[in-house]
Amino acid sequence: MSQVNRISGGQIDRAQEFKFTFNGKAMQGHPGDTLASALLANGQRLVGRSFKYHRPRGIFTAGSEEPNALVELRSGAHQEPNTRATVTELFDGLQAKSQNHRGSLEHDLMAVTDFMSPFLSAGFYYKTFMWPRAFWEKLYEPIIRKSAGLGRLSMQEDPDIYDKGYLHCDLLVIGAGPTGLVAALTAGRAGARVILADEDFTLGGRLNSETLEVGGVPGAGWAKEALVELAAMDNVRLMSRTTVYGAYDHGVYGALERCTDHLASSGGKPRQILWRVTSKRAVLAAGATERPIAFGNNDRPGVMLAGSVRSYANRYGVTPGQQVAVFTNNDDGWRTAADLVAKGVHVPAIIDVRDAPAVCDVPGARHIRNAGVVDTIGRKGLKSVTLTDGQVIPVDCLAVSGGWNPNVHLTCHQRGRPAWRDDISAFVPGRDLPPGMAVAGAANGAMTLAAAMAEGQSVANTQIEALGYKPSKADLPRAEDEPRECVPYWHVRESTKRGWLDLQNDVTVKDVRQSHREGFRSVEHLKRYTTLGMATDQGKTANIPALAIMAECTGKTIPETGTTIFRPPYTPVPIGALGGRSRGRDFRPYRLTPSHNWAKENGATFVEVGNWLRAQWFARPGEKGWRDSVDREVLATRKSVGICDVTTLGKIDVQGKDAAAFLNKVYANGFAKLAVGRVRYGLMLREDGIAYDDGTTARMSENHFVMTTTTANAVLVFRRLEFARQCLWPDMDVHLISTTDGWAQFAVAGPNARNLLRKVVDEAHDLSNEAFPFMACGEVTVCNGTPARLFRISFSGELAYEVAVPARYGNAMMDVLMRAGREFDATPYGTEALGVMRIEKGHAAGNELNGQTTAHNLGMGKMVSQTKECIGNVLSQRPEMVREDAVKLVGFRPVEKDRGLIAGSHFITRGDKAIMDNDQGWMSSVAFSPSLGHSVGLGFIKNGDTRMGEIVRAVSPVHGTEMEVEIVSAHFIDPAGDRLRA
Amino acid sequence: MPEYTLTSAAPLAGTDISVAGTRLMAPADLAIVSVALPLGEEKPAGKAIRAAYGVALPEVGKSSLAKDDSRLVRLGSDLAFVIFVHPTPDAERVVAARLKGAAYTTDQTDVWVALDLSGPSARRALERICPIDLHPDVFAIGDSARTMMEHLGTLIIRTGDDSYRLLSGSSSAGSFLHAIETSLANIT
Repeated sequence: MSQVNRISGGQIDRAQEFKFTFNGKAMQGHPGDTLASALLANGQRLVGRSFKYHRPRGIFTAGSEEPNALVELRSGAHQEPNTRATVTELFDGLQAKSQNHRGSLEHDLMAVTDFMSPFLSAGFYYKTFMWPRAFWEKLYEPIIRKSAGLGRLSMQEDPDIYDKGYLHCDLLVIGAGPTGLVAALTAGRAGARVILADEDFTLGGRLNSETLEVGGVPGAGWAKEALVELAAMDNVRLMSRTTVYGAYDHGVYGALERCTDHLASSGGKPRQILWRVTSKRAVLAAGATERPIAFGNNDRPGVMLAGSVRSYANRYGVTPGQQVAVFTNNDDGWRTAADLVAKGVHVPAIIDVRDAPAVCDVPGARHIRNAGVVDTIGRKGLKSVTLTDGQVIPVDCLAVSGGWNPNVHLTCHQRGRPAWRDDISAFVPGRDLPPGMAVAGAANGAMTLAAAMAEGQSVANTQIEALGYKPSKADLPRAEDEPRECVPYWHVRESTKRGWLDLQNDVTVKDVRQSHREGFRSVEHLKRYTTLGMATDQGKTANIPALAIMAECTGKTIPETGTTIFRPPYTPVPIGALGGRSRGRDFRPYRLTPSHNWAKENGATFVEVGNWLRAQWFARPGEKGWRDSVDREVLATRKSVGICDVTTLGKIDVQGKDAAAFLNKVYANGFAKLAVGRVRYGLMLREDGIAYDDGTTARMSENHFVMTTTTANAVLVFRRLEFARQCLWPDMDVHLISTTDGWAQFAVAGPNARNLLRKVVDEAHDLSNEAFPFMACGEVTVCNGTPARLFRISFSGELAYEVAVPARYGNAMMDVLMRAGREFDATPYGTEALGVMRIEKGHAAGNELNGQTTAHNLGMGKMVSQTKECIGNVLSQRPEMVREDAVKLVGFRPVEKDRGLIAGSHFITRGDKAIMDNDQGWMSSVAFSPSLGHSVGLGFIKNGDTRMGEIVRAVSPVHGTEMEVEIVSAHFIDPAGDRLRA
Repeated sequence: MPEYTLTSAAPLAGTDISVAGTRLMAPADLAIVSVALPLGEEKPAGKAIRAAYGVALPEVGKSSLAKDDSRLVRLGSDLAFVIFVHPTPDAERVVAARLKGAAYTTDQTDVWVALDLSGPSARRALERICPIDLHPDVFAIGDSARTMMEHLGTLIIRTGDDSYRLLSGSSSAGSFLHAIETSLANIT
């Protein structure tokens, strides 16, 4: 097919030819074309099928407001559905396919739905699929899902990459049409940092689509000169192919830059970048969008917006038809006729709803006054239009203009409501703009070129003056105020056929009237009921005409009827761009323990603990499952010695003259009198008295403590301590700094722990039980002088130490400990064995400190000091929190020893029914104890501490299990603590 | 005498990558010690710092370079970092000795990992991950800021016209390097 509709002129590079395909058909275009302009050049009018009725549809606009011409681009994993042909830059080799049809585009089997349209009116789904209810899931939903949607996903992973970024400026200018260019020049010349962003690939906006002159040269030429000047300014950043899609708090705007969508391949670079633009001020110069007039069968391929027809002719050198009539309610429609005729296109008629003289002389065109179009003919492409007086005019394109709507969308992103202006029959920005934003040009209702440019200058000057820049007084280039008279005229009443308002969602004038009849009075309800204004175009061309019809129905004015609220994004933003780099392994950062490499080399299986990767167990050859490894690690540790990397526990360095007094306030138990060289277990409460974290704190010197927190709460505890220090007690001399990552810390546990450490800790340090007893701490050196810290603390219940070295030595330290431990059969153990041993010992962990339990519940009620002021102690004494029958942490073992306990089971007294009213408590942690040879559990049960030996039922309705368990001490191993003091 | 010795393996040690004239490298043997000013004794602490390093304690968000090339970075009203080259694991003692007990010191060397980014594309690469404004007029040489890059807490210091020192948590060093490497790869 040749480019039958290509005419002279336009901003395309005719010297170069691009080949592309549409539904496999080979076509040609040029650099500078969009897919839409190239399709029109090749005479392709039918480009898709409508959403609901599968009506044949063509290209309707020349911009991002396009409701009809949605296509699938590219192939394979790169296939992208619902792409607007009107903003798709043509490239050599582009593959495009039409969508939403079964069979070919020309012979869509689903077109049968159009004949069922009397049954498919507004609210069809709501009314039809209500009953029988049982049909919904199995029958209705699958059918609806199958016929819904437009394009198809590839169902493969997106092979492109995406990025994000942060930009900052004094002035963000949104839209690079005449207004935006003047605003950017004004601010740029004054020295302000300016970002000028526009969704188009060629900046200049309507100047590229019009024949209007600026400063005595064609507008497009002036725009190019302005861009050259702007590009030369260091303080100005020009961003084409960049849609500012949302206005957020504090002058932050979201912008999507399409970096490689116009190329055949992204070449491994980000396809799109989502920018977060922080602006001090913004000028919205987003221009205006033309709106249609509704009349019978106004959705035929070939019925287009008049301004868009003009764009195709002037910017792309394409005429959408050979016989183009114009149907208008305003002066601007005449410009289309005049420009087409100037390019040699035949315009048989200008149909103006007004009874007014010709706006300009258009040779060869009949001026038909006070008339409208009632119907059209031509199912797959317009053949003729029928006017209100019955006359039929053969045309293959009808350019329709119903006036222009300022693009107020971004002014509404923070709940601002637009205001109605009668003189242009359109909404303009209201008074409540996002802070820092000002609106200029057509977006503000300054609909003529000279007025828009003047406003671009004055608004930019006001904005930069507020930032301390000197306003620019340069004379504006000469431009005209072209005729823009417009009368409110929304639909042709004489039309009896379906008149389409929302082309994307197949909503007709009749649908709006019907929804009103059925009681939907609010525009928001109208939108939901009819689907008007939904989907990719968000009703950019449909909303105002529909509102006008709604207003007619209610007898109210349009402003009284109101608008639906505009929300970001202005145009669709791919999910891939919102995700950016956060996918796969890089979804979130990961943290590695200092001995990670050693663990990896020694067969560790890793588990994610927050962002950390921790060794879960170390499998050995011959072990059949994780339990084999974990049981072995527990037994070997309890028998001799085991080593575990516990670096992930939070470490906070606390220093200051008031450090001890400070800790005494943040821990529920006493810390004021902790001796230097000693460690104490501490419990932290929230203000409301609930326990929230625990750990040990060591006093390294008079004014220096080292606190440990649980892994999960490391950041939270630090933040709360900072709050306490800065806000609660600012007069205390306390200083906090995290050292979590700085020290590689290893638990060395088991009867041979001391013997092993003696081989590693330098001889000067006496590790005897007398010199370094349970809960001692101190600075030591290891391996000939490396500074280290040693703490004699035990989570496992064994004779145990934690030894810390600077993190850079962590991997080597693990290796040394294992080599030195060879004679003791030392074993590395992971988090599973750690968990088993703490359950055997009866130590509470995250499952027990779950944000709902108190010290009283945990059996540590006596630890909460009532003789000092500390966070949470007052509220922890509320009657409900210290009630006598409160649940208490105790141990459980199965009566039938071979049964495995189930965490989450609830306790029910024997003989009682397993219902909520009889709930006695719950099992919080369970493990198989290799030391005892059966399952052990920790749990909370009413009065647990007074019920030792009682047998209750552990019921888990979730698992469908029930078993008898005996209440026992939580300390399954060494209840007297002889081992850890050994 | 223990028969074992420990070898140091700092994360990212040896990293040195160049992409189109912009270099990303991990400085060797960098030591970091935090200095906290005792409440009510900020003046004597400031004097001790001046005496030890020959420069005044900088304002919050600024840094200054001492004669011996130690960099003093002020992170908060009562907190500063001393960053200097010192290979052995006793940096805290060295600083404490120089300040003669006028401030509280904590070794931060192994808490952080440092990367130096320098070259014509440095700022453009950081634009992809750094939320703060690095325009030369806004973020002058010597300025410092704590911010987040790719979810990671980061301290950024502008060390020259086109050069920045970035510090982030050592446990997430791999993710941090990846974030900057990706930025470099994405812009060129």
